[in-house]
Amino acid sequence: MAILQKKICMIGDFSVGKTSLVARFVRQTFSDKYLTTVGVKIDTKLLTLPDGNQIKFILWDIAGSESLTTATTSYLRGSAGFLLVVDGTRRPTWDSALNLRQTVLKQIGDKPFVILLNKADLKEQWEITEELMEEKTKQGWKLLLTSAKNGMNVEQAFLELALLMTK
Amino acid sequence: MTNIPASVIEYVQSMWMAEMILTYLHIDAEGRLIDWGGYPQRYGLTTLTKDKLVVDQVDFLNGFLDITHTEVLQYLNIGGNRCIHVHIVPLEDGIYVLLLDVTAEHDRQQKMQQQVNELSILTYRQSQLLQELETTRIKLSAEKQQLEQTSKLKNDFIATLSHELRTPLTSIMGYTKLLDDAKQADVYESNYLDSVKKNANHLLSLIDNILDQTKLEIGQIEIHPNNCNVKQLLVDLKSLFLPIAQEKNLMFSVEVPDNLPTQLIIDELRFRQVLINLITNGIKFTDKGFVEVKITWQNNRLEFIVTDSGPGISPESQPKIFTAFHRESTANALPGVGLGLAISYHLVELMGGQLSVESSPQFGSNFTGFISANSVQFSVSDNTEISNSNIKILLVDDSVDLRSLIELYLENDGYAVITANDGDEAVKLALQTKPDIILMDMQMPVLDGYGAVQKLRAKKFTKPIIALSGSNIECDRNYALEIGCNQYLTKPIDPEKLLKVISQVILSSI
Repeated sequence: MAILQKKICMIGDFSVGKTSLVARFVRQTFSDKYLTTVGVKIDTKLLTLPDGNQIKFILWDIAGSESLTTATTSYLRGSAGFLLVVDGTRRPTWDSALNLRQTVLKQIGDKPFVILLNKADLKEQWEITEELMEEKTKQGWKLLLTSAKNGMNVEQAFLELALLMTK
Repeated sequence: MTNIPASVIEYVQSMWMAEMILTYLHIDAEGRLIDWGGYPQRYGLTTLTKDKLVVDQVDFLNGFLDITHTEVLQYLNIGGNRCIHVHIVPLEDGIYVLLLDVTAEHDRQQKMQQQVNELSILTYRQSQLLQELETTRIKLSAEKQQLEQTSKLKNDFIATLSHELRTPLTSIMGYTKLLDDAKQADVYESNYLDSVKKNANHLLSLIDNILDQTKLEIGQIEIHPNNCNVKQLLVDLKSLFLPIAQEKNLMFSVEVPDNLPTQLIIDELRFRQVLINLITNGIKFTDKGFVEVKITWQNNRLEFIVTDSGPGISPESQPKIFTAFHRESTANALPGVGLGLAISYHLVELMGGQLSVESSPQFGSNFTGFISANSVQFSVSDNTEISNSNIKILLVDDSVDLRSLIELYLENDGYAVITANDGDEAVKLALQTKPDIILMDMQMPVLDGYGAVQKLRAKKFTKPIIALSGSNIECDRNYALEIGCNQYLTKPIDPEKLLKVISQVILSSI
């Protein structure tokens, strides 16, 4: 049986940890050193779903920004879903994520997505309130606290998106 | 390269790209790979197979083959260290996917973007820190304000307490003295009076010590150096303490050097207080032997040593001896709250000196200290003789007991006295009768002393006004002097001091 292929995009402001999440998910590695992404990095990962089926993720890790440019918008083409990444220690990245989600919606329609509140290991610097999260959860959005550093919920995040896309 | 149509070559040539190394894929209308050229392996495309679906071989093309016009994907990192621009060009004979190496440009862009992003994060963290600092500053400021308010309330409370306690004490001590002076009391009555005097004095010293300690804690004690006859002060202390020492069969001596100037500039009140504290302690703790006071003066320093043959202080206790409310176990049976030495220590510091202790158990203690003390040339003024009966004093106090008592002191000294019950009455009487001097209580109903003084000075009343106040607080003293009082005396009023100050003030006003 042919393996299902799905293109998914990593979207979010700069330095929220998109590349680190992919590195953790694909290679189980993490580096504290910040290296900005220019353009897009493409990776693939085979994921086994709970029902035993496999899915091949083609991961488009798009350069972080508070908004998408014409050049970066073209990366979204053919995307089956996306992970919206927020740096939990920088409140403005939450607002960026909400704006980016609107752009994506206009560009490729209503595709499945999961919001990842990354850097959950830095709790003492946390700036995203329970109220903000609760409001979005009530709207039916899927939110997950993640840490690329310690691996918390990283695999889970991709699995959640896969389940949403194959539902 | 020969298979590439001229239009594609033209398109590529129109690009201003650095390090262009062209690689291409040719795809038919069904999405199968027809051909390729250049160096696809540079970008990780190592297993290309003709006639197979290209999306199964080149992941990033997924979703891009249904285009109708040229699509450009910039800066794609598809594995390895190379970065490409991908141009997807739909033509009549299929789709051409051109891969242009832009690694060098990518690296340049990345370096620049990295700096911008790092700076942006740094700025954000800095602004967050500043915000936190501002929040902390506001919080601290609010706490400071609250503490100041609490401190003010505490000061007000102390001032009120001071007034409320000192006023009745003045009456008790004054009338006790009058009764004692009458000398008609029998031996029992004399003992009773002594007991009243002793306890009133003890109460007063307790109040004074607590107030002084409080004021020292909040930095409200100021030193007022003035001309002081130190020799006379030492004579006074000797006559004060000799009988007390003799009662305990102790030897008591005060050694004064010949070179001690008649007048030194020191705060007499505070220096006296320090010596009294040290001598009182010496006598209190010494059961047999001696207490001696040695004074020396050199290099504008007045040095003093108070030595006793008491039980001494253990080495462990010595560092704590100048701490407020510290009491030695040997002092438990004796009166006191452990404030005298702490107050003395701070007062000596305020007077520009130091106080220290040397002691060994069973061999007694040596309290050694010094204060700054410049000598002055005493200018002899005219001894103007003035008859007190010609001096009219307006005495203002709302306490009938106290008014009567002070009136008695004044009349006994020959002054003509008129009295007023409050500030309002005082202002009227002063303007009508033009007294030579006014003794003004500062806390009174209707119009208090501060208000009365201000009114009188506003109406050009120029004669001296002596404030009589229950408040021993520095700011009250300063305020009273600022609004026009010539002197400020605190209750309980010492009759001798009062009469001395009155004659000084009268002399200086002539």
